[in-house]
Amino acid sequence: MAYAEKVEQDLLKVSRIAVYQEAKAVLNSSPIQPLKCRKLLTKIVLLMSTGESFPADEATTIFFSSSRLFGNPNESLRQMLYLTLKALANTAQDTIMVTSSIMKDATSGEAIYRPNAIRALNHILTEASSVQSIERLMRAAIVDKNPSVSSAALVSAYQLLPIAKEVVRRWQNETQEAASASKSGGGFSLGFSTSNQHSLAAANTNYMQQYHAVGLLYQLRMGDRMALVKMVQQLGAPGVVKSPPGVVMLVRLAAKLAEEDTSLRKPMMQLLDSWLRHKSEMVNFEAAKAICDMHDVTEQEMTQATHTLQLFLTSPRAVTKFAAVRILHHIASFKPTAVLSCNQDIEALISNSNRSIATFAITTLLKTGNEGSVDRLMKQISSFIAEINDEMKITIIEAIRVLCLKFPSKQAGMLTFLSGILRDEGGYDFKRSVVESMFDLIKFVPGSKEDALGHLCEFIEDCEFTKLAVRILHLLGLEGPKTPQPTKYIRYIYNRVVLENAIVRAAAVTALAKFGIGQKDPEVKRSVKVLLTRCLDDTDDEVRDRAAFNLRLMDEEDEIADKFISNGAYTSLSENGNVLIRIDSMFSLATFEHQLVMYVTAEDRSTFEQAFDISTVPVVSHEQALAEERSKKLTLATPTLKAPVTVAKKPAANGSSEGVQSALAQAQKYSAQLSAIPELQGYGNVLKSSALVELTEVETEYVVGAVKHIFADHIVVQYDVKNTLPDTILEEVSVVATPADDDLLEEEFIIPVPFLKTDEPGTIYVSLKKISDTPFIATTFTNILKFTSREIDPSTGEPDSEGYEDEYQVEELELNGSDYVLPAFAGSFDHIWEQTGANGEEASETLQLSAAKSIADATEQLARVLALQPLDGTDVALSTSTHTLKLYGKTVSGGKVAALVKMAYSAKSGVTTKITVRSEETGLAALVVGSVA
Amino acid sequence: MIGLQNAGKTSLLRVLAGQEFTVDSIPTVGFNMKRLQKGHVTLKCWDLGGQPRFRSMWERYCRNVNAIVYIVDAADKEAVPVAAEELHALLEKPALKGIPLLVLGNKSDLSGKLSVDELIDAMDLKAFKGRETSCYGISAKEETNLDAVLQWLINRKNK
Repeated sequence: MAYAEKVEQDLLKVSRIAVYQEAKAVLNSSPIQPLKCRKLLTKIVLLMSTGESFPADEATTIFFSSSRLFGNPNESLRQMLYLTLKALANTAQDTIMVTSSIMKDATSGEAIYRPNAIRALNHILTEASSVQSIERLMRAAIVDKNPSVSSAALVSAYQLLPIAKEVVRRWQNETQEAASASKSGGGFSLGFSTSNQHSLAAANTNYMQQYHAVGLLYQLRMGDRMALVKMVQQLGAPGVVKSPPGVVMLVRLAAKLAEEDTSLRKPMMQLLDSWLRHKSEMVNFEAAKAICDMHDVTEQEMTQATHTLQLFLTSPRAVTKFAAVRILHHIASFKPTAVLSCNQDIEALISNSNRSIATFAITTLLKTGNEGSVDRLMKQISSFIAEINDEMKITIIEAIRVLCLKFPSKQAGMLTFLSGILRDEGGYDFKRSVVESMFDLIKFVPGSKEDALGHLCEFIEDCEFTKLAVRILHLLGLEGPKTPQPTKYIRYIYNRVVLENAIVRAAAVTALAKFGIGQKDPEVKRSVKVLLTRCLDDTDDEVRDRAAFNLRLMDEEDEIADKFISNGAYTSLSENGNVLIRIDSMFSLATFEHQLVMYVTAEDRSTFEQAFDISTVPVVSHEQALAEERSKKLTLATPTLKAPVTVAKKPAANGSSEGVQSALAQAQKYSAQLSAIPELQGYGNVLKSSALVELTEVETEYVVGAVKHIFADHIVVQYDVKNTLPDTILEEVSVVATPADDDLLEEEFIIPVPFLKTDEPGTIYVSLKKISDTPFIATTFTNILKFTSREIDPSTGEPDSEGYEDEYQVEELELNGSDYVLPAFAGSFDHIWEQTGANGEEASETLQLSAAKSIADATEQLARVLALQPLDGTDVALSTSTHTLKLYGKTVSGGKVAALVKMAYSAKSGVTTKITVRSEETGLAALVVGSVA
Repeated sequence: MIGLQNAGKTSLLRVLAGQEFTVDSIPTVGFNMKRLQKGHVTLKCWDLGGQPRFRSMWERYCRNVNAIVYIVDAADKEAVPVAAEELHALLEKPALKGIPLLVLGNKSDLSGKLSVDELIDAMDLKAFKGRETSCYGISAKEETNLDAVLQWLINRKNK
């Protein structure tokens, strides 16, 4: 032991230079002293693994000096030597010199260091040609009867893939054999010799090489789906692959295949089902997870998976319980009903001594709970919440917060609960999450406002966190004056002025002032004035300043004061005193921030010659902002614990709030491009830019895509053209766009592209003026690409002087109603629906959607095609047979557009929908409906 | 143990170690090393690759050795001038001063080979001053003259 400690101390004080000097001496001394050399090599590896690196010349010297050690037969030294060579291989030069020596060890060396030799070999080889020279060796090693040699060879092959794909590809047969062979002979020793009997026995049965082989096979066959299917089916048969991690890999692969190709879904589902009964828990979990993560999985398919998980819930091992409840928690986020059957077992876990298990159990129950069971659960939580730590409490509070938003009618019970735990002992993070949940209640559930404010007032009476007190005071200032009894809050606030520190006092003064300014009741106004006057004697500058400022404001006309106070930070006055924004609206903060960042980080000096123009920031109403925030909170909070997914999700799949965001981002991107074109300067701001529409197949000679930009009086079509023909140049490329109805639009000009080289995209703009009276024009364009084609002489690289004119017809471009609509948020769909119904027009149509495979699919497609924002959480279809989608948006000229889509799904006829669109402006509703067809 | 590619270094080492002569050995990538046991003496032999890309690394391995064995394919007359050039370039290096040199004209079983004297002239071995220099004609295949080589090596140990 003392010796080991000494070595450890030696290792702690190594420095690169000392080690280098020592290496030169030790490695070159003769005869070789194995122990000394091993210690030295350990130091080198230690240095390199802790971030130190040797410069190339030193690394090379050590590398070559250490290759002398091949002369010593000591096994441990040889292993250490390989580790060193591997570490140095990247920096040292001419490492190829040791190839032959390593190859000798790899083919005929002692079993103990053969794997090391093979692993070192792939670090030495850096080019495909040299990989060829070891091909025979590797093939033999992959099917070697010693599993650790086989594993090493497989892993090395994996690493050689990037440099010599073709060579490694030829090893498929051997790899296949390794994947299915069940070798149990020979000890699987990990690295250094294991004298421990127990670990040897365990190693004998782990079949790690199968796992590596499955991984390599996948890499080799990645491009060939049929081969992958065959592989999964062959290796997936019971008993072929014995290594649990290997099977887990197959599970993931099967899930991926099923996701990518619907025709494979059935056979893969069967496989996954059979894996649910595999004898390894690891495989069961992975299979259950895969089934539940499957794209629009039905509840029937999930039954077996949830049942398996349910069995694990009663397992004696904590880690098994944890894994099971974690997956169930994930399922509960999107399919609460599927988990219902497990509730009994989950409930048994909420008092589990393992904190993590209990947390997941509780949050799962909260998610699966319907409105009726919430009360019972809340009671259960209250009984033990005192026993758990802050971190867990926060998780629970988050779940409750979502619950509040989901079931506003339950707010009374939850508020009592929240105020109850607010009085408990707890740290800042815990209290903050409670307070924030209450804030949300106040914001989104109007009925709870007064009670919640009351609880918050009590809380600040005894609040040790300055930050929280300040935030609550601010909220009181905002909401208090609107309540029927403002005087009640004034008392609480003034108490703070008397009792708290300067920061809280200042916040309290501001809050107090909001009660006085614009106050109609002279009695209240007078008392606020008295209180503020007292604050003028405060010891703190800030408090006195705020008091004086607010007193002065109170003497002003109500209207001006209102502008300052009611809208707080967001009101901005331009130079001539005009209010840029109406009182009930605010800037779209996300865009505002983005533009400010763009401005501040601009590289171009000339940007700063102009002041930042705040009028370009889009303005949203308070109502809109609130609605957006609410839907964001609902969606963000639900799928939080999405288990690591092996399959990349489709970008459009998540988040209902994305519609608005992406529309804004797109508009910003294009408007920057368009404003750079002088011809378009007079058109004003672009009102809406559509998504890119492909007008050709991707693999044609000329790839054309189009974007429609809507201006007030013009429509500009942007054609993105790419020439994919090698060795040709296109000159004077333009597009002739002919509208089907020529009395609606008139071509103004075309901006052609002078040159198009191979694979370089170019952009053509065609501007059309609206000549009819209707603001919304729907029509179809035929598009013909015109250009002069010139071939490039491959020998000189110069284009031929002779070119010929050519035309190329691409697909038609449609201009329809949805091009005039932007997604927008609103608080209540029903309200808008009534409103637009009363003073707008309506159009409806019943359609059969053949392209949609399911309700969820149709929901997503429709929201995109109609360019409207789903409201009231209807972007997530809860039932697979019927669904009602509520959509809302605004036209480019600001009119409201609402759509109600009723859908029904049957396996025979697919998705049938009835789309009803109402719009404030005339002539639009029918066009919007028409854009779906 | 160095020399141009295909001179017979690896084969010679195999035969010296008592293994069989093989006709089709693979070119050495980098180096091989073997220990030879002769009576109470152990010889540690480094067999370096002879292809052009390895020649620059010969010097690194020749430092501090007891003897350098330079093998020439005596039957390949076109290669001999190159072999001479490489050898002279190598031995000019100051680090290798005074190290004994043994030049072996391999493949003496083939017809059209150079005799020992012709080889000494062709390689300009007389130009080396300040080091022991010997030259033998051998055949790894027929195992002729190999005892003399071993004896020479054993005599040079620890000098």
